[in-house]
Amino acid sequence: MIRRFAQGIAPLLALLLAWQLASASGVFPAQVLVPPSEVAATLARLWQDGELGDHLGTSLFRLVFGFLTGAAIGLAFGAAMALSKLFETLFAPVFQAVRQVPVLAFIPMLVLLLGIEERFKIVVVAVAVFFPVALATFDGVKGIPKAWFEVARLYRTPPLPFITRILLPAAVPPVLTGLRLGLTRGWLVLVACELLAADSGIGQMMEMGRQMFRIDVVLAGVFVSGLVGFGLDRSVKLVERRFARWKEA
Amino acid sequence: MTLHTRIDTPHVPIDTPANGALTIANLSKDFRIGREALPVLDRIDLDIRAGEFVSIVGPSGCGKSTLVRLIAGLDTDYAGEIRLDGKRIAGTSLDRGLIFQDHRLFPWLTLEENVGLALLNTDIPKPQRARIVAEHIALVNLTGFEQAYPHQLSGGMAQRAAIARALVTEPKLLLLDEPLGALDALTRVHVQRELQRIWLTQRSTMVMVTHDVEEAVFLGDRVIVMDAKPGRIRRIVDIDLPHPRDRSSPILHRLRDEILAELTGPQVDSQAPENLVHLPVREVRA
Repeated sequence: MIRRFAQGIAPLLALLLAWQLASASGVFPAQVLVPPSEVAATLARLWQDGELGDHLGTSLFRLVFGFLTGAAIGLAFGAAMALSKLFETLFAPVFQAVRQVPVLAFIPMLVLLLGIEERFKIVVVAVAVFFPVALATFDGVKGIPKAWFEVARLYRTPPLPFITRILLPAAVPPVLTGLRLGLTRGWLVLVACELLAADSGIGQMMEMGRQMFRIDVVLAGVFVSGLVGFGLDRSVKLVERRFARWKEA
Repeated sequence: MTLHTRIDTPHVPIDTPANGALTIANLSKDFRIGREALPVLDRIDLDIRAGEFVSIVGPSGCGKSTLVRLIAGLDTDYAGEIRLDGKRIAGTSLDRGLIFQDHRLFPWLTLEENVGLALLNTDIPKPQRARIVAEHIALVNLTGFEQAYPHQLSGGMAQRAAIARALVTEPKLLLLDEPLGALDALTRVHVQRELQRIWLTQRSTMVMVTHDVEEAVFLGDRVIVMDAKPGRIRRIVDIDLPHPRDRSSPILHRLRDEILAELTGPQVDSQAPENLVHLPVREVRA
């Protein structure tokens, strides 16, 4: 356990060391290649004066609302496509085509439609979350073996337990994977969005840092957004493992 | 005697007769492939007495699995009649259990939950369900594994769990579609013995499809030998031996060899003369 942790953290430490040495060598100007020690100091200062906390709070608020909206619509849409042949025929082609478009490509249009207020950011996150969740739900429900439906028919399982004890558990693992992808995808798109158009949030903090040539602030933002994304991914993975207990020996 | 055991199981109404007589009359079934109708079963007539154990053997494609699915009510598109105790079969019912070749236990439910799932649509009061589930787990000798997930069970144990699930609703008729086909030879002999013991204690009607002729004669009161393309009954062999049987009995061996010879040898059905003889002339032409 400790050994695996050490093995996981070693490359990161090596990278930080190489970075520190490169900064100290003076090949690049100190304002461009800020040493990690300075970034850490900036990070601590931003955290202490509450600035980082404010930005982070705003970003996470947008993420949560966007995620909940996008995930709810994605779950319903994916399930409807898997269960209704008509719905699939009507919407699958459009869905498959539109999901190939990078979410960032929708931003100019969404800015025109919604402005650059909170609503816009939440909608962008929701769109980013919607596609992986809808796709995973569709595949998850479609992939339930016919054999299990037959068992339910044989025992004439009533509708409610059929959904809660057979359909949902069968579909939950792939759907959770979709939710995890959606959550991290939503976070990426949100930070990108805030870089482009925002008055607060982690991305905006980085953009302000860039404009004032404070690369240490930019890098602090990079570090925080990476850490948040990693944390989100890990926590949903833990939930996934909890739901897949029955798979393990 | 039977009355006494009935009183011990209060969830079964006392006035229900212990029946499970199956009547199949003029049963035909086609599969549609494109616009063509492919006959799978052709005018099957079969009467199965209540409490009888009937084995069905036949080459692949003889429609034996289709027959069992029709009796189970998983497929309701057929011509002719299938009646259980006089009632025409139209859909699934807890009166008819079915065990598949794969155990089909839900991997996210424990053994106990899997067996209990079969009782969800019964009017057995909740407090009694746990006891009935425990009784049936004991019946298949899996006491102690109630909390195990299917992946923690061996193939034979999982199939026994499937038997417990199928029996927990006390069906009048239990259908078995190659239930032991996926088990290794030793486990199979073991579960065959279990199956026989269970049948002797439960005395419900059982219809088992199998590839294994030895298994068919060992367990069956009668063995139905089927023909393929289209599926029909070629011969019905009475196995007039008391249960439990001795696997090494010479009569069983003779019957097994006879049925095997019939299945592997040339066909002797006058209705299908084109399959009958291997004319040298024909071979030359081919």
